[in-house]
Amino acid sequence: MATISTQLRNFKEPTREQLNYLYFAIPPAEGDPYLNANGNGGGKDKEKGGASELEKIEVGAILSLGVQGVEEAYTGRLHLLPPYLAFASLDRKSVRFTMPLSTIRRVERLNAKAGVYALSLALWHGMKIVVQITALRPTADLFCSLLRDALKAELARGQMKAVKTFVQTCYSEVLVAAANDADAKDGGAPSKNEALPGSDPNSAYLGGLGLKFKFPGDPRKLREASKTKLWTSYLKMHGRNLTLVRYPQCTRLVQVGLPNRLRGEMWETLSGSLYLRFENPGMYEQILEDNKGRTSTSTEEIEKDLHRSLPEYSAYQSEEGIGALRRVLQAYSFKNPETGYCQAMNILAAAILIYMSEEQAFWLLEVICDRLLPGYYSPSMHGTLLDQRVFESLVHRCLPILYDHFTAVDVQLSVASLPWFLSLFINSMPMVFAFRIIDCFFCMADRPLTIALATILKINGEQLLQIQDDGGFIHLMRDYFSSLGDSAHPESPDPRARAITRFQELLLVSFREFAVITDETIQSERKKFRGEVVHSIESFSKRSAIRNLKTLERFSKEQAGLIYDALFKAICIEPPPADALPPPTLLTTKEGQEERPETRIELKTFRVFLSEIATWARNERIVSNGFQQRVEREVAEHEFIDRLFFFWDKDYRGALSFQDLVSGLDGVMFNDLMENIEWFFNLHDKNKDGYLSKDEVLTLSESLLFIFRFEIGDAYLGAVSRFMSNAFEYGDALLPRAEGKDGEEDAPLQIGANQPYINLATFRMVVLADEILESFFETDFSATFRLEPVPMMDLPSNQGLLGDLWTQITSDDNKKIFNRLTDGVGRAVGKHQVFHRPAIGKFTALEEPKARESLLTPTMRRSASKASLKSPDGDAPAAPPASVSAPANLSASEPAPEGGLPQTAGLSPMPTMYEAAANAAAAFMERTPFAIDDAKDEDEESEDEESIAEDDVMDEVDAFLEAHDSGLTAAEQEAAQDLINAEPVK
Amino acid sequence: MADASGSAADKSVQVKLVLLGEAAVGKSSVVLRFVSNEFQANKEPTIGAAFLTQKCRLEDRVLRYEIWDTAGQERFHSLAPMYYRNAQAAVVVYDVTKASSLEKAKTWVKELQRQANPNIVIALAGNKVDLVQPSPSTSSSSTLDVEDEADDATATPGEAAAGGEPESLRQVPREEAEAYAQEAGLLFFETSAKTGEGIVEIFTEIAKKIPIDQIMASSRGGAGRGGAAGGRAGDNAQGGNVNLQENQTKGKDACSC
Repeated sequence: MATISTQLRNFKEPTREQLNYLYFAIPPAEGDPYLNANGNGGGKDKEKGGASELEKIEVGAILSLGVQGVEEAYTGRLHLLPPYLAFASLDRKSVRFTMPLSTIRRVERLNAKAGVYALSLALWHGMKIVVQITALRPTADLFCSLLRDALKAELARGQMKAVKTFVQTCYSEVLVAAANDADAKDGGAPSKNEALPGSDPNSAYLGGLGLKFKFPGDPRKLREASKTKLWTSYLKMHGRNLTLVRYPQCTRLVQVGLPNRLRGEMWETLSGSLYLRFENPGMYEQILEDNKGRTSTSTEEIEKDLHRSLPEYSAYQSEEGIGALRRVLQAYSFKNPETGYCQAMNILAAAILIYMSEEQAFWLLEVICDRLLPGYYSPSMHGTLLDQRVFESLVHRCLPILYDHFTAVDVQLSVASLPWFLSLFINSMPMVFAFRIIDCFFCMADRPLTIALATILKINGEQLLQIQDDGGFIHLMRDYFSSLGDSAHPESPDPRARAITRFQELLLVSFREFAVITDETIQSERKKFRGEVVHSIESFSKRSAIRNLKTLERFSKEQAGLIYDALFKAICIEPPPADALPPPTLLTTKEGQEERPETRIELKTFRVFLSEIATWARNERIVSNGFQQRVEREVAEHEFIDRLFFFWDKDYRGALSFQDLVSGLDGVMFNDLMENIEWFFNLHDKNKDGYLSKDEVLTLSESLLFIFRFEIGDAYLGAVSRFMSNAFEYGDALLPRAEGKDGEEDAPLQIGANQPYINLATFRMVVLADEILESFFETDFSATFRLEPVPMMDLPSNQGLLGDLWTQITSDDNKKIFNRLTDGVGRAVGKHQVFHRPAIGKFTALEEPKARESLLTPTMRRSASKASLKSPDGDAPAAPPASVSAPANLSASEPAPEGGLPQTAGLSPMPTMYEAAANAAAAFMERTPFAIDDAKDEDEESEDEESIAEDDVMDEVDAFLEAHDSGLTAAEQEAAQDLINAEPVK
Repeated sequence: MADASGSAADKSVQVKLVLLGEAAVGKSSVVLRFVSNEFQANKEPTIGAAFLTQKCRLEDRVLRYEIWDTAGQERFHSLAPMYYRNAQAAVVVYDVTKASSLEKAKTWVKELQRQANPNIVIALAGNKVDLVQPSPSTSSSSTLDVEDEADDATATPGEAAAGGEPESLRQVPREEAEAYAQEAGLLFFETSAKTGEGIVEIFTEIAKKIPIDQIMASSRGGAGRGGAAGGRAGDNAQGGNVNLQENQTKGKDACSC
């Protein structure tokens, strides 16, 4: 339910070069992610990599066709973007082409007048393009040599051969071949038939379901024949499919409507999906093959909608059509798991499949979702929302009266326009008309949609000013759409005017009146509103994530919001893998079965998340040099954090959801002393048997040391070391004895380092024996979790030049440089200081906590220890000494000022010792000196009557240790003995 | 639709109603049945939202439902607030043959109760009961589709197990949903858009529960007439404007929309 997407954050305005690629519909040069992920395109990637190393160049040029008088020449820019050659006239709309270099067979430098540098490019089918390079001579030379290199590279890749097989899939070749045959029969111009693919003109060109199930609309009414004729002659002259050169006539022909049989291919060509298909032969089948039998949320959703996509079209009442639709949609969702499947894509895919084969449709869908309508179908639908916003703003600008009216009667344009955008009018207009708008859409990118809508509003302006609510608006629009085929001027006396349909009027008005709306307008509007839209989407998803929590636990909504912010930030910094879902088998075993996609974070992201919340989960260095003081924050890594991660992962998924985090934090942030102790105990009781093993006691100590790592002074270190010694002491004392041999050796069972060792009660007692630990568990630990407002990261803002400049300056890299510089200066003047910010920060100076009386009365202590004695083998003979020895250590307080010395001396080997602690046995041996050492110290200071008893107790303990620590070597025992007897330094 | 008398049209009260629920539970079909008494087996999924209107006569006044039928797919969720803002009523639909759809319905209810108009009247409708009724649907459904197994193509493919015991298809027991509805303060119905069962009742009951006078007062600038609960028009108010023959007989209560 809570899917958290940071995709919107990662948006970057395309660079100029990317814009060029987009404009020319050239597939991005870097390897396709799908190919990389699947590893089956490795070779291809390398080739592509090689191609992108080839230099790109852009020169001014004048384009003309080799034949005189066919088209006038156009001035523009010629781009060499290996492996493509592209041209656009200066206005970027009259003339353009994008050609794979592999279609070029010969390049000749033309012998022309002096000072004219012209190249003649002969294409595979014999057509010639003449480009006159207007750049200076050296640039022109450079262009030529780069072109030569690029062509060679293409030849080496074998793409030249691929062209011929590829074009056989194109219907345009059939058309042109037929026309050439006809010409030949007429005895007309000598046929340029030499290179035509397949002597059989009915070769395997690709087509859609329409070939079998009929195309929508009446072919006679649509004047199919004459359109086809016009196109045939255009394609013959100006190239087709891969080599199409788009002159103004081409655009005009598109506006009249494409002939049905050619429509699919022209969509491919105009949108540029043709190049994707050309570059990735067989990938569609490969994707289907690789994912055979796989199911996902997307495939389920697709399945629901298959029979609901253009159901009235006959192909979609048969398995043939349904199967094709299923495969295309599934292939898309497999290739783009992030987008998956969005309702409306089914309608789109069903519509284009009428005109094109599955493979063609797959690539076209890719281009639509990825480039033409970016973000329209993404889970957040940000593209749709953004364009709604853009549309509203354009209406505001171009049709202010209408806009004011809508505002006055509180009609939201987007409630009606959203479905139109999403389904490209396919299910709102009669299909024939929708397809004509789509023709324009592929020819002129996304502008036509917006323009068409604006036009519709304009044409219906009068009536729209009458409407009072959303309902009226929608009814009006519905009536208008259904009457598109009617005459626009039924009253007109002129029969020609009467023949103009409302649809024609729509196109006419839109091209005439809204030519002011250019691609640039739309781009800049999108830029303007992106931040706003992203913000509203993000705050919506935050609200719904919080609402969808099964339980808020004890947090308030605001606190949950803060947790969400921290999580969101963590995901931004350390994005979870794209598909963090466990394998499907795991899901189906769950009884709920229906799993909603939910964002889950893995350990890496969790560390970042925790570092936002818990003070000990980050390393904060306060750096001050003469100029500034700053806090450098790093994410800490420690086994303790990993342990916490798995502790909170109740379902063993290896990933945590937002809910898991909230519940997890709840489990620790509201705890009182006892709960915290228990929580800490459980956290380290890995097998949940209610006992910590020796290993686990050591790990727990390590955890404590980790938390205390930046505390000032030695108090905490002391506390941990006392904790360890006490824990082992109690633990040993409480070990079950070998039964029935009470009089004898009385040796505790030798237990392995991973055997149950101490239980919660014992642990609690040991913790309460220490003031520092007690206060740590009582308040300090919970307080290390802080829900603070996470400073919101800046959205990629592009507010004009200044904004760009500012973001440039404040980029992280530059900040680092600045910091390094000031540090350097600071160091030079001796003012550079770095210290770590402690996690708890209770003791700001080296002052130590005061000594105190034990909180527990002796009786309480006794009973506590008795309670703890209810270990499996109840009657442990060693119990009495242990319970009495408690006071000795319970009075554990702080060493006298002088006492500090031996203690620190004792503690300094701590780190090494605790590293070695991983080896439990070793640590087990080493702990003894510590225990005694501390105990001794304390003896010195305790001045109440208990001290007398303590001496006795100590003796007993010594005896006990002597007797049982058989694991110690003689030397070690001796050392231990020495330490026991050692007088504290005065 | 057919607004019988001009005077009734004058008095008609506009009620904005929104339909919410998981994808393919039959929201659009419910509306289609209510608005035009039709059933389409393969209804195209709603993109964004669809808008329909229908009048409903309750006692002596006429309600004009403005129905926003929203898209069910999860990713359209973020658009929903646009549609339920200012709504006076909501119908949250789930599919009785799909347990997860009730869960989704619950989240919708939660969201509506927190975010929407505080006085919103919410009805919970368990659709597709025709799939779980023991009576063989073949005999009763004289409609075009002869397939006896599924309400429409949106039924999950796995459950196509025709014949046998239809109760086994049921995943949401009536009692469970009803108990939830009670607890959350919702109207509750089990419906079938295919047979028409329970559809009109939803809208009738909502009409009864809606504070019409308040709406009138606010929308007509305080011109709302008094006399809140006139005499029960009873069964004779049947001269309604919807040709739901089979339902009119059932509609024993005041309203026959």
